[in-house]
Amino acid sequence: MRHTLTGIIGAAMIILAGCSSKSAVSTDDKTGTTGTGYGQQGAVNGSVVNAEDLGQKSIAGTVIGDIFFDFDSSALSSEAQEQLKQNASWLQSHKLSTVSIEGHCDERGTDEYNIALGERRAEAARSYLETLGVAGNRLSTVSFGEEKPFDPGHNEESWAKNRRDHFITK
Amino acid sequence: MRSTRSSFAALCLTLMVMLLLPMTLRAEGTGEYIAIRKEGASRIAIVLDNTAAKGGKQSEWAKSLDATIKEGLDFTGLFNLLPAPLNIRNAQNGALDLATIASVGGDIYAGGSVTKNSGKPVLEMYVSDASGKELLARAYTGTELQLRDMGLRFCADLVELLTGKRSVFGTKIVFVSNRTGFKEIYMCDFDGQNTVQLTNSRSISLTPSVSPDGNYLAWTDYTSGRPDLYIKNLATGQKVSVNKHGVSISPAWRPGTNTCATTLSYQGDQDLYLIRSDGSVERRLTNGGGIDVSPSFSPDGSKMAFVSTRQGGPQIFIQDIGSGQTRRLTYSGTYNTQPSWSPSGNKILYSSMQKNGEINIFMIDVDGAGLLQLTNDSRNNEYPSWSPDGSMIVFSSTRDGRRKLYVMNADGSNQRPLLKMEGEQQQPSWSVTK
Repeated sequence: MRHTLTGIIGAAMIILAGCSSKSAVSTDDKTGTTGTGYGQQGAVNGSVVNAEDLGQKSIAGTVIGDIFFDFDSSALSSEAQEQLKQNASWLQSHKLSTVSIEGHCDERGTDEYNIALGERRAEAARSYLETLGVAGNRLSTVSFGEEKPFDPGHNEESWAKNRRDHFITK
Repeated sequence: MRSTRSSFAALCLTLMVMLLLPMTLRAEGTGEYIAIRKEGASRIAIVLDNTAAKGGKQSEWAKSLDATIKEGLDFTGLFNLLPAPLNIRNAQNGALDLATIASVGGDIYAGGSVTKNSGKPVLEMYVSDASGKELLARAYTGTELQLRDMGLRFCADLVELLTGKRSVFGTKIVFVSNRTGFKEIYMCDFDGQNTVQLTNSRSISLTPSVSPDGNYLAWTDYTSGRPDLYIKNLATGQKVSVNKHGVSISPAWRPGTNTCATTLSYQGDQDLYLIRSDGSVERRLTNGGGIDVSPSFSPDGSKMAFVSTRQGGPQIFIQDIGSGQTRRLTYSGTYNTQPSWSPSGNKILYSSMQKNGEINIFMIDVDGAGLLQLTNDSRNNEYPSWSPDGSMIVFSSTRDGRRKLYVMNADGSNQRPLLKMEGEQQQPSWSVTK
């Protein structure tokens, strides 16, 4: 129930964000209805933002798709790279936006090590976005380690959601 | 009836003690009592007498002192506390009959009296061995508000006398708690008493560490929006931050200096740097590739244990600070973190995540031999930290559900909760403070 609510709220936020910039934010139907609640924006299932339809102006607070990691790893999977390409594409069409990349970890392992790991995850995304042509000065990183889990559960399903980079545009 | 039952209990106790305790040699001098006991020998059987007092106020003080001394000695895990036998005082003249100590299996007698002098308590304590030889006779003074301190000063003297080492009494533990809804830094006495909140950043405060001289507190704080290192002069309250971009985590002070090592990433990789107490960078210590984090120094400050992913998963390494030479310490397990170097210099504690998902605390010799598992089958046990005298270990555990602080003796025995406090507690660091 809680997850369903989060999912609905997440979807609503995306729609609101879209409206403020003349529509065209597409939520993934599957995520919207099943309400897995993670990624807040259905990032798991792929694109959240339909880049071409959005205007050039900066949209503060717009969330572009999360990427996810294996345990104790900051390596970018092919799915993560795909998502980063879409995020890069959105950033290319919103030249005034900057983005803060938050690196997160699951609760396993030790806290201070995970702050370092979270930073490596955020830096991995930053580097990849740069190779895709996004100017480095538009990207900042911050690691929260395991301090801000997206899903408070204590199982692999939750952990998988928490091993992520979260992107917040400004 | 009551006395019959007590006598019976005393008899049982005597028999139990005789059965359970190996014979211990008696030291001729002082300070060698433990040294001549066999390694791993039993606890010291101490007969702890009630503090004598005349008058209402004095009796109140005596009661409070008795509780402090009993709890204090019990906390060390060094003692087997025995009540005084009923016949310890001569029925006619009230004189101590120390021959009765051995009859209940006692090795040591401790007792005393509290009197009032100009309205203030004076505690006079007397300690002898079972042969009646005086080991200590000392007076402790203070105000009425310092009763606990007076009792603990006696405990400290007694432990030092019997072990030849400094005790845990008077030391403090800094730790993190989310009691208020935010992770803040707290400090409590060695036994979990007198908790005070040290930060109120309403952000995320982590990994506190007090300098060996007790002057500075270093910790990581998200007040600026990212994990930055803060150093506070505990006497003046003055606070500085390192203010380098990237992360800054897990500080550890280097003995004999006013510098601490911490992980910084402003030059790209996450390496360990030495930071002065004014927040400036003295120099870079590691350049390993991958994550370098969680430093802990040898007691002479010449070497540093730390966690590195330079060879794959996180493992403990040791670096000689002078030469920069580094060797790997841990080979058992695939995820070893949080080293804590013993005050004696020859052991290192660390936490290891095991295949079953549990995190347990291990102890290993500095040369890599003698691996010993200290926690077992009790969920996640993390962040071990030695007491300054090396006799105990504080750590966090989720064995009872939420993450709380626990202590154990240095051999892993006697594991028990440290304090009762709302919320979760974690990242304890045992320190000498002023």
